[in-house]
Formats: sequence, structure tokens, C-alpha cells
Amino acid sequence: MIKRTAPLLAALLLGTAGMAFAQGNPPTTASPNPATAAGQQTQQGTPMGTTGTPTGQSGGTMAAPSTGMGTTTTTTTTPMPAPAQPAMRPARADRN
Amino acid sequence: MNKTFSRSCAAVVLSACCQIALASTASAPGMSVEASGVAQAAVTSGDNQRMPFAVVDKKNARLHVFAADGALQASSPILLGLARGDRSVPGIGERPMSQIKPHERTTPAGRFVSEPGRNLGGEDIVWVDYGAAVSMHRVRATNPAEKRLRRLASPTASDNRISFGCINVPATFYDAYVKPALGQNHGVVYVLPETTPLRQHFAFVPTPAAH
Repeated sequence: MIKRTAPLLAALLLGTAGMAFAQGNPPTTASPNPATAAGQQTQQGTPMGTTGTPTGQSGGTMAAPSTGMGTTTTTTTTPMPAPAQPAMRPARADRN
Repeated sequence: MNKTFSRSCAAVVLSACCQIALASTASAPGMSVEASGVAQAAVTSGDNQRMPFAVVDKKNARLHVFAADGALQASSPILLGLARGDRSVPGIGERPMSQIKPHERTTPAGRFVSEPGRNLGGEDIVWVDYGAAVSMHRVRATNPAEKRLRRLASPTASDNRISFGCINVPATFYDAYVKPALGQNHGVVYVLPETTPLRQHFAFVPTPAAH
């Protein structure tokens, strides 16, 4: 009995795993910007030869940074504000 | 039941702490009745908004520094504006010192939200009235003719009027008490008047009839 069901169970497990593998989005080699080939961009979507990290909106005509392949997304964390220290006003002469 | 009991206990402890703190302000030696009264009223009325504060007693040329709960930290003699008066001349903050006349060299009275800052020399100071360029800083003995250090050391208050309006504090006192209390964040500075009624500047102080 066990001998009969074992291959069935194995096949079922393999099938389930296969289904699980099939659910993931395969990596794509397509460029987000058709004007440039996939091999001509950095991992951050900046033109080749550009160093540093893109600074968001100030990037001008640069492509938006890719969040990676597939369906994974990254969450950006905004820096916590410094503890309540008042912004110092411009230095000025005092009345001695 | 437990929550109510805990809250009651907390209230009793808080009240006791406030009483102790206020008692310490009232019994501080060398503090005038006016200075003590303003300090107590500032805490009991919540006027200091839980910030550390200082009381500048112009009549006695003394500075008293308090913690946010009203506990007296320390007191010191200070130097003040040469002229007696409780108002700043309009626009005086924009004028070079060479254009400030002797009778305009007042230290204004009132309630000021202080802030840490820097002057043009890069020195860390506490702004009392930024607009009128009145600050609290370490005593400056740059002009020997003014004898600022000698004036600070003398036992009398009458010779402590020499500055252009700023509050000069002994350097060691500034670093030990003023900077930790007021030089890191906002605070409140109560400058007691010398020619005008107290309540004209501090409405939170109870009238004598209310005592």
C-alpha cells in the first residue's frame, strides 16, 4: 500500500512545487526604455558612464530607477526627523 | 479599579514633586520676592510650557535658571543694558552699536521664547529677543575701559549696567547652567521690569489681592 502511494505522493509534491515555480515572474531582459538596449544601462536605469545614484525628479531625462525584476517591490523609508532641535536663525550681531 | 488607583497615585506623586520644586524656588536665597513669584506663577499657570526657563531680575542684576518643573538650578550676577527702561527702541536691532545712544541701551522686559543661536563672531549664544538683537552670552571683556569683569565681581548691582542691551553672564555659569538649559533648545526668559508694573508684562502672575 505504501509502496503504491509513495510515487503518487512524490508526483503530487513535485507538481505542487512546479506550480509554485510557475507562479513567479521570470526575469525579463527587455529594456524599460526602448531607445536603449538592455545591455546599455546600469542596474539603476541610468545611462552608462553616469556614476552615483539617481536623485529622483532632478534626474531630468534620465529613466526612472528600476525596482528590480519580476514583481518584487522595494519600499523607500523616509529619514526620521531629528529630535526637536530648533532650526537656528541666521547669525547676526547682538547688542554686546 | 487598579487603573484608578494607579492614576491617583501618579497624581499624588506628581503633585508632591511640583510642591517640592516650587518650594525650592520659593526658598532660594538671594532671590527677590518678584523673581520668586514670577517663577512660581510661570510653573503653576503652565506659562513656561514645560520648557526650562530663566528669570532676569534687572533691579538686582541677577539671573535665576530653572528646570522645566520649576526647580531652581542656579543663580548668578549679570550685566545688563546701561539705560534703565523696559522697552527696546524700534529698529534698534538693525542699527550698528556705534549708532546706539546711551539712553537707548536698555534691556527690554517681558516674556521671551529664547532660542540657541550664533552671533556674527560665530559665538554660541542664547537669543532672548532676536528681532531686537538682545542675547544672553558669556561676559565679554574686550573693552578694558568698561571693566565688565570687575563690575560682575562687585557685590553691588548698581554698577552692573554697562551693555548695549545684552545680558552678560559669567563664562563658567553660562557653560554650566545657561547652555544646558537654554542653549540646546527653546526656553522661556522672563525679564522683570524695572520702570513698569510687573503684571503689565506677566498677566499670569496673580494679583496681590488673590494671594
